[in-house]
Amino acid sequence: MATPGPAVTRPSEHTPISAAGRRRYPFLVKRPSRTWWLRTRAYRRFAAREATSLFAAAFSLILLTFLFALSRGPQAYDGFLRWLQRPGTVILLAVILVAILYHVATWFRLTSQILVIRIGRLVVPRKIVVGGLVAVWLLLSGLVLYLYALFL
Amino acid sequence: MAEETMTLRVTRYRPERGPDSYLDEFDVPYREDMVVLDALNHIKDDIDGSLTYRWSCRMGVCGSCGMMVNGMPRLTCSTYLREFHPEPVVIEPLESFPVIRDLVVDMTDFLEKLREVKPWVIREREDAVEEGEYLQTPEEVDRYKQFSMCINCMLCYSACPVYAQDPEFLGPAAIALASRYNLDSRDQGRSERDEVLGVDTGIWDCTFVGECSVVCPKDVDPAAAIQRTKVSTTTRGMLAAVWPHRGRR
Repeated sequence: MATPGPAVTRPSEHTPISAAGRRRYPFLVKRPSRTWWLRTRAYRRFAAREATSLFAAAFSLILLTFLFALSRGPQAYDGFLRWLQRPGTVILLAVILVAILYHVATWFRLTSQILVIRIGRLVVPRKIVVGGLVAVWLLLSGLVLYLYALFL
Repeated sequence: MAEETMTLRVTRYRPERGPDSYLDEFDVPYREDMVVLDALNHIKDDIDGSLTYRWSCRMGVCGSCGMMVNGMPRLTCSTYLREFHPEPVVIEPLESFPVIRDLVVDMTDFLEKLREVKPWVIREREDAVEEGEYLQTPEEVDRYKQFSMCINCMLCYSACPVYAQDPEFLGPAAIALASRYNLDSRDQGRSERDEVLGVDTGIWDCTFVGECSVVCPKDVDPAAAIQRTKVSTTTRGMLAAVWPHRGRR
């Protein structure tokens, strides 16, 4: 005779439909594995999406360091600029750029799953929503480049 | 001509035999138009009558025959053997649920969660019968119709790594069902449902893996229901903070 495993149901304010928390019969519970996120392709893609967010965090840290250096005067700022020009930093920034681009692409795709734009009874197709997001992104990037050129 | 066969590796759990599950191998005759459920029925009828599993309608409507087929949660009545032929197929009970026997899982947790979201039209005040029906335009039906197609097959729960790690999570189908009523123009029970939706074990447990929507045989898209609820709950909360009279509805 098997020994019953731990109950997995949560306590409910309602009268239980059956003796959920007090099962009178034996049952089997499989523990989830720690490496579940490697198991299927979809899970690996999810893990990649979440992991690339760390690169976005890394880039904001670099931006904060930049502001900090700026506030500490010309010497610290020059030091920061020198650090930026080191080959290691350039490689790091290139890796961060690629990771963030991937991260952004995944979220553009997901946003189109969440965002419903209705025109009458018609729902705007997902591809058009993604296209719109990409267009806004390109527009904003263009604006930043324009401002950069303006003040240089 | 010799009949073509196909091998099924089926997970068995027979509590009277021992505390662990084991694999049984069966060779079944193969035809191109056979689904996995046909093969299981063949085993039960002609090879081993003790094989235990749930099924009913055989046409993807009742939601009873969900199992893990080669590691993916599928309705066995809608999964053709030809997808895997000539390789063997592995059949396991739906993941993340306690197994009672062979391929049969305990649905109690899921059924209680369904009830917790109060899946019925809630009115602040019932209109008198003489006042007539609560009318709805086709546009208003469109808003929730997709989420009303759920057949409670629980494939989405088996695909959800969050539910696997944390059985307290309300889960995809229950939240999609809550959305079905929250989006219904006749319903006024949203704030009641928020008690189970707007908490850590509700929508905020979801990390948007999105596999619930991929495995859903009815294209309900529970992942979208959860994320949209996150957006609308946040919007309503902020509105209530800056504009107390308008925010709550």
